[in-house]
Amino acid sequence: MSNTIATDSLFSADERDALKILVGMIIPASAVHNVPGADDELIFADILDSAKANEAQIRKCVEHAVSSGLGDGLPLEQVLPELEGHPVMAPLVSLVMQCYYRDDRVMVSLEVEPRAPFPKGFEVPQGDWSMLDAVQKRGKIWRDV
Amino acid sequence: MSVSSDIDFSPADVLIIGAGASGATAAWNLAETKMRIVCLEQGGWTNPSNYPTTGRDWESRAQSDFSINPNRRQQPGDYPVNDDDSPIKIANFNGVGGGTVLYAGHYPRFHPSDFKVKSLDGVADDWPIDYGDLEPFYAENDRITGVSGLAGDPAYPAKQSLMPPLPMGKSGQKLAEGFNQLGWHWWPSDSAIATQPYNGRDQCINLGACIYGCAQGAKASTDITYWPEAVRAGVELRTWCRVKEINVGDDGLASGVTYFDEDGVEQFQPAHVVIMACNGVGTPRILLNSVSEQFPDGLANSSGLVGKNLMLHPYASIQGVFEEPLDGYRGPHDSIWSQEFYETGEERDFIRGFTYETTRGRGLVATALTGVHSGRIPWGAGHHDAYRKLHNRIAGMVAICEDLPEEHNSVTLDPSIKDAHGIPAPKMTYSISDNSQKMLDFAVARATETLRAAGATDVIIESPLASGGWHLMGTARMGKDPQKSVVNEWGRSHDVKNLFIVDGSIFVTSAGVNPTRTIQTLALYITDQIKKRLTHLFD
Ligand SMILES: Cc1cc2nc3c(=O)[nH]c(=O)nc-3n(C[C@H](O)[C@H](O)[C@H](O)COP(=O)(O)OP(=O)(O)OC[C@H]3O[C@@H](n4cnc5c(N)ncnc54)[C@H](O)[C@@H]3O)c2cc1C
Ligand code: SF4
Repeated sequence: MSNTIATDSLFSADERDALKILVGMIIPASAVHNVPGADDELIFADILDSAKANEAQIRKCVEHAVSSGLGDGLPLEQVLPELEGHPVMAPLVSLVMQCYYRDDRVMVSLEVEPRAPFPKGFEVPQGDWSMLDAVQKRGKIWRDV
Repeated sequence: MSVSSDIDFSPADVLIIGAGASGATAAWNLAETKMRIVCLEQGGWTNPSNYPTTGRDWESRAQSDFSINPNRRQQPGDYPVNDDDSPIKIANFNGVGGGTVLYAGHYPRFHPSDFKVKSLDGVADDWPIDYGDLEPFYAENDRITGVSGLAGDPAYPAKQSLMPPLPMGKSGQKLAEGFNQLGWHWWPSDSAIATQPYNGRDQCINLGACIYGCAQGAKASTDITYWPEAVRAGVELRTWCRVKEINVGDDGLASGVTYFDEDGVEQFQPAHVVIMACNGVGTPRILLNSVSEQFPDGLANSSGLVGKNLMLHPYASIQGVFEEPLDGYRGPHDSIWSQEFYETGEERDFIRGFTYETTRGRGLVATALTGVHSGRIPWGAGHHDAYRKLHNRIAGMVAICEDLPEEHNSVTLDPSIKDAHGIPAPKMTYSISDNSQKMLDFAVARATETLRAAGATDVIIESPLASGGWHLMGTARMGKDPQKSVVNEWGRSHDVKNLFIVDGSIFVTSAGVNPTRTIQTLALYITDQIKKRLTHLFD
């Protein structure tokens, strides 16, 4: 019997389990910063959903992780160096960062308002234009022709 | 009912191919002649309410449907570009507004010296026109576009500013401190971004994602500047029409163009004058694909220079990490620039020079990816502390290096890759010259000094910036000698007297600044020449 769950999930139950361990390994929860890990239910659901646009590459990452010992009961510290920085993992790393850093709780912990930039926009200070005096004092620097 | 049943296929007086920066400008300037002007554009209109910054997932969309790279974006208006043989990858936008939909709005002029590189430095060629010829057209383009900045920049001849400069912000001020400590030039950037309401456009609200489309309408992309006025004045803009080739008659003149309409049906639009505005990659592609008995090597190509001399402006990105929080992604990309090393310096081991343009910080996702890919943010328990050392603490600059023309850097037709309509894709073959490499290395070293002087504790370098193939120039160069150039000094093909080119392909040299203000100024200049010579245009 196929172990594919009858939902619109792209991944088999085993693949999802491995993926969940993997993303939690990339960004674990932190009590100090009061933030969830990337394996948090909401964030993981976003990761699964967003993986649809890039299914083949994400599956490759999971396969690579499993072939490196993930899920074999090896301690994560032993598996991590095999995977971190490996070029095959780049699409998954990108996906995890995209989903993690748009989570409300994560944004709030970074003191960023959890909202789209538009339409409210942001304030940016003018800066001190008197700093240009020094530049003006030097005079013309363009070349005559 | 097919789309084509409503279309008027009688001959157009002027047919423009491409509705980007230069196509829009040309259409606007010719509209007052009341000639019948038709523009064919392979993409559609974009709807600002669909731009990424209207959603929480804006940084994800910047990597998918609003990617700056068409090979990744793969939207219906896009065509593939084979850039495997180039360390700098293609960046463009295909739709009404062209590259200006995504551009950052950095809007420098060329310097007078940029038109005279052969006379001044003994390299490449002088342009057949000079700064003085273009000055009135720069001013006119500035007025339609709406340029912000500060008059009095000592790196330039006098020019007016129409709106106050963009805010420096904390990051701009930090970098200004660095430049001042070293006694180097800096000045608020000229920007095609409204800092006040301008011609019906609203002012910038610092969304900070200008290169994924400005939802506020503050950035002067030509879909909201020139195009509305040109369409009101009677120009017909036909979207989703991809030109395959320019046809020629027995008289050796262009007779019109063959294109695929929205339904994918091949059509022929006759025209008395054809103007190409498809950019430095799209224009040579169509010219090379326009092969006939009279023009077996492609149209307008008796010099053999169509597609040759591709210039891309190698960029270096040099970013500092600071201890105190700065602006993060808030604020437009443009801020201040430095042209301390713009003109040739005899003491340096390279000729010509570059501009530094400072950059503000990055979005939350981009910060994470920068950190992870550069080894500054680890996986696992250390992730959060390391992330917080970069969050809102990155600011720096890019160096835009003048690229000199070299024939082996080229756009050709790819022998196997084709677009959705079966038209051969362009292939870029490009390598960084010795001169450019020395310039990049120098730029990285001096920027690092600036960042350290400003207090940066760490410096993140990417040189060349692989994603930065956004300035596409030189592939149908301008000149007086038909053996050494493709178009003459007013943009007309030497070989085909009713064919003009107005986009970045006609650049003789690239200067060390972003090109679009000069591209649009040239489009005004050339179409002004067309208007003045209407009675004897084909002599
Ligand atoms: C991310 C990004 C940032 C940039 N930032 C800056 C900046 O800050 N400052 C600056 O000066 N420049 C910048 N640029 C570059 C700027 O966008 C270009 O210099 C400018 O748009 C080029 O103008 P153009 O008229 O030559 O071509 P484009 O604006 O590229 O227009 C060409 C048009 O032709 C159409 N076309 C092509 N082939 C066909 C065909 N076969 N049939 C029909 N239509 C066709 C295309 O769809 C396109 O709309 C940036 C570009 C990008 C992508
Ligand atoms: S920063 Fe300003 S110009 Fe850039 S996208 Fe936002 S509103 Fe537009």
